[in-house]
Amino acid sequence: MVALYQRTVLEKSKTVTEEQEQRKQPSNQRKISKEAMEYAIDPKRSYWPFALAIALFITLLGVIVHPVIFWIGVALIAAAIIGWGLERR
Amino acid sequence: MATRTITEGISVARRRRFSETYIGEWLMTTDHKKLGIMYIVTAFFFFLVGGVDALLIRTQLAVPNGKVLTPEIYDQIFTMHGTTMIFLFVMPMLTGFGNYVVPLMIGARDMAFPRMNAFGFWVVLFGGLFLTSSFLFGAAPNAGWFSYAPLTELNTGCGTSGVVVCTPGLNMDFWALGILMLGISSIASALNFVVTILRLRAPGMTVNRMPLFTWMTLITNFLLLFAIPSVTAASILLLLDRHLGTHFFQAGFGGDPLLWQHLFWSFGHPEVYILILPAFGMISEILPVFSRKPIFGYTFIAWSGVAIGFLSFTVWAHHMFAVGLPLVAQAFFATSTTLIAIPTAVKIFNWVATVTGGKISFRPAMLFALGFVAMFLIGGLNGAALAVVPFDYQVTDTYFVVSHLHYVLFGGTVFGVFAGIYYWFPKMTGKLLNDRLGQLQFWLMLIGVNLTFFPMHILGILGMPRRIYTYPGNLGWNELNLLATIGAFIIAAAILVFLWNFVITLRSGQPSGTDPWDAFTLEWDTDSPPKPYNFPVIPIVRSRRPFYDKKNPEIADWKTATH
Repeated sequence: MVALYQRTVLEKSKTVTEEQEQRKQPSNQRKISKEAMEYAIDPKRSYWPFALAIALFITLLGVIVHPVIFWIGVALIAAAIIGWGLERR
Repeated sequence: MATRTITEGISVARRRRFSETYIGEWLMTTDHKKLGIMYIVTAFFFFLVGGVDALLIRTQLAVPNGKVLTPEIYDQIFTMHGTTMIFLFVMPMLTGFGNYVVPLMIGARDMAFPRMNAFGFWVVLFGGLFLTSSFLFGAAPNAGWFSYAPLTELNTGCGTSGVVVCTPGLNMDFWALGILMLGISSIASALNFVVTILRLRAPGMTVNRMPLFTWMTLITNFLLLFAIPSVTAASILLLLDRHLGTHFFQAGFGGDPLLWQHLFWSFGHPEVYILILPAFGMISEILPVFSRKPIFGYTFIAWSGVAIGFLSFTVWAHHMFAVGLPLVAQAFFATSTTLIAIPTAVKIFNWVATVTGGKISFRPAMLFALGFVAMFLIGGLNGAALAVVPFDYQVTDTYFVVSHLHYVLFGGTVFGVFAGIYYWFPKMTGKLLNDRLGQLQFWLMLIGVNLTFFPMHILGILGMPRRIYTYPGNLGWNELNLLATIGAFIIAAAILVFLWNFVITLRSGQPSGTDPWDAFTLEWDTDSPPKPYNFPVIPIVRSRRPFYDKKNPEIADWKTATH
């Protein structure tokens, strides 16, 4: 009898129903309409990654072509880093 | 109500911002999916550029005493072929797949650092344009993709006495600066992947439940973080030598020529695994889906990837057996190189066990995945042969090595990439690539790869040096070289078939629906292509096949499996 009782209890504890699993979900993961989600979580766009990359390109090209281009590139890198840092997200 | 009407009126009257135009949207995007596509398209463009380089090389070598290219141009073409294929095709292509697929696979809404992600892409694009623009200056890099110093020094140190001109001109400056730029991109994207995978997984997705592509991407990006600084340091030292009068690699001035080789290959060999591990991950996703079975030996595949990652940092000097290393060093590197074959073989056995007894569906993605296993096996076996020092002495710097690396990187990685393209194309576009054209492409590529690279084994054993400009007609190399050239053009035909398939699918391809393969992992549990936010609700993960569980609740893995 004891063995039967233990086995029943063990099996009950192992059987987790879908409903119980659903109840375990945190409250902030409840369904939100797709439209609301699209509005809320649309990835924010930014110029600065592109600007910083092109500034890096100009700097390296300056190393090859002319020091003036190099220094223009350095100034653009500085500007892009500042712009990136100050951008509101 | 009035307020609403006014607001609508304003929005109609307002001019569209640049960021809302089609070009602005792509230029300013930080969405991992768009960036993933941009990476893949850019990488494919450079694949075509590197492919044209390869065809030029093979045309030059098709017959003895070839005169298609001048020796100077030939040097530039083979250097740029290697550099382009490794740094501008394979690395960005795998980063592109990781970008697109990994956040979806782990149930995340984006990468951890979206702007840094965009920065990584733009640096790859501009870095690639920078390197390729060297052709416009008539000064493309010309000393091989490994750019051995002191050959690459500006004007001193590569001769035995006096001032000897080594590599004057801007050629190696383009290479060193381009590699610096691409290294910045790699570090940025590697940091992003590591943080994303460690911090943004869906609830319930323990590391033991991560999809294997995610596992391999994680390992690859750790490798990048530790390997890239080495080649970056080497490039900076080379630039200092060339322009600021230092002598890091010049024996005559107290430098050490082997320092370059150690620095380069301590990056270069982990790099080989950086180029192949994500492809391991891709086919570990594809084989189970098209065999209708869970992956066999998940834990072994995942942890053998970790083992490969660690061991990849202990094998670099097997590229240097012929430079005169001490015997103990040769023994160490021969042993470690042989050891790395063990975790690699573990993966191959697991893939074979996965498909064994499965209900196999020979769609193009599966064909390329199976082709990958076969071709990579050949590349692995001839690689193990190169770990044997006396054999390596005989074939070092011959076409045997060219054959080995192409079986790994073309037969392996490129087949893996095409498997990934056929598998995830419906996810990215909502359309199915044509199966018949896919099968035609696969068979053409399989024949082409073996026709091109298998004869190179024999050419290497016959003594044909790699990077050679031309050869006389009396060495017994003629027919094998011609075969290799024919094979290269068959590969080119296969790529044309793919491009045709791509174009007609985009124009009038069959809609795929959201889950065309009845797949197992989370990226298929959303629209195709997915909305910007990926998932309306972040999924809960209870097993290694969460989407399979959702579709088959009565036999879900989490009810039966222990992980």
